[in-house]
Amino acid sequence: MESTLEQHLDDTMKNPAIVGVLCTDQQGHNLGCRGSLSDEHGGVVSVLAKQAAALSRDLTDSPTVCLESESGNILVRTHGTITVAVHKIAS
Amino acid sequence: MGCCYSSENETTEQDSDESKPLIPPPNPVSKPPNGTDWMPTNVPSARTDEQALLTSILTKTAQNIIDVSAADSVMMEQHEYMDKARQYSTKLAVLSNSLPQKKALALPSLTSQPHQVLASDLVPYSDVQQVSKIAAYAYSAISQIKVDAKEELVVQFAIP
Repeated sequence: MESTLEQHLDDTMKNPAIVGVLCTDQQGHNLGCRGSLSDEHGGVVSVLAKQAAALSRDLTDSPTVCLESESGNILVRTHGTITVAVHKIAS
Repeated sequence: MGCCYSSENETTEQDSDESKPLIPPPNPVSKPPNGTDWMPTNVPSARTDEQALLTSILTKTAQNIIDVSAADSVMMEQHEYMDKARQYSTKLAVLSNSLPQKKALALPSLTSQPHQVLASDLVPYSDVQQVSKIAAYAYSAISQIKVDAKEELVVQFAIP
């Protein structure tokens, strides 16, 4: 059933620059996560994406939220009904 | 039917008016605009109806009332009440101390030196594209999720 998503998350983590990945639905329910991003982050990630989308007037495009840090960035992106967060360290 | 001003011959002529209520019942149908031509024969039946109605209302109300004072309750003295309140608050204080403090969950620590982050290069567009791609793949992976029926939902019990 969800093996495709699990495989996709595993494949994403194979990138050495990526230390965490999380997939959540619109309500913040965790659909899958790896590494530094755990299932408790689902709510924060989904709300960040939702609030950022509310700022934009363009309904056809969803924004990418980027939390920058000295060691890496967390990028949050919504696609359809899901939101994905990727924790990427500076390479 | 003058009430404030009523001459003697008026009272002798209309003895039946004595049984009339001073304030006519608030029923616009039975009350003619001119109070003097009110039929006295209607009064007793109207009163009976009212009485019956009142009795039925009283009965209904009595059925709906819950008399809490009649309920079997344990009376508590003032000091007992205070003791109990103190006991409960002590217990709550002990329990709340032993409960693990649920902190608002933060995303992984970002920075303690914001100026460095702000002065750094922009987020590479390739990263943004990469995240978009990961999200698109994840969405397509999730849309592939479907229920894989392996056995019958309705099964027959071994009924002879």
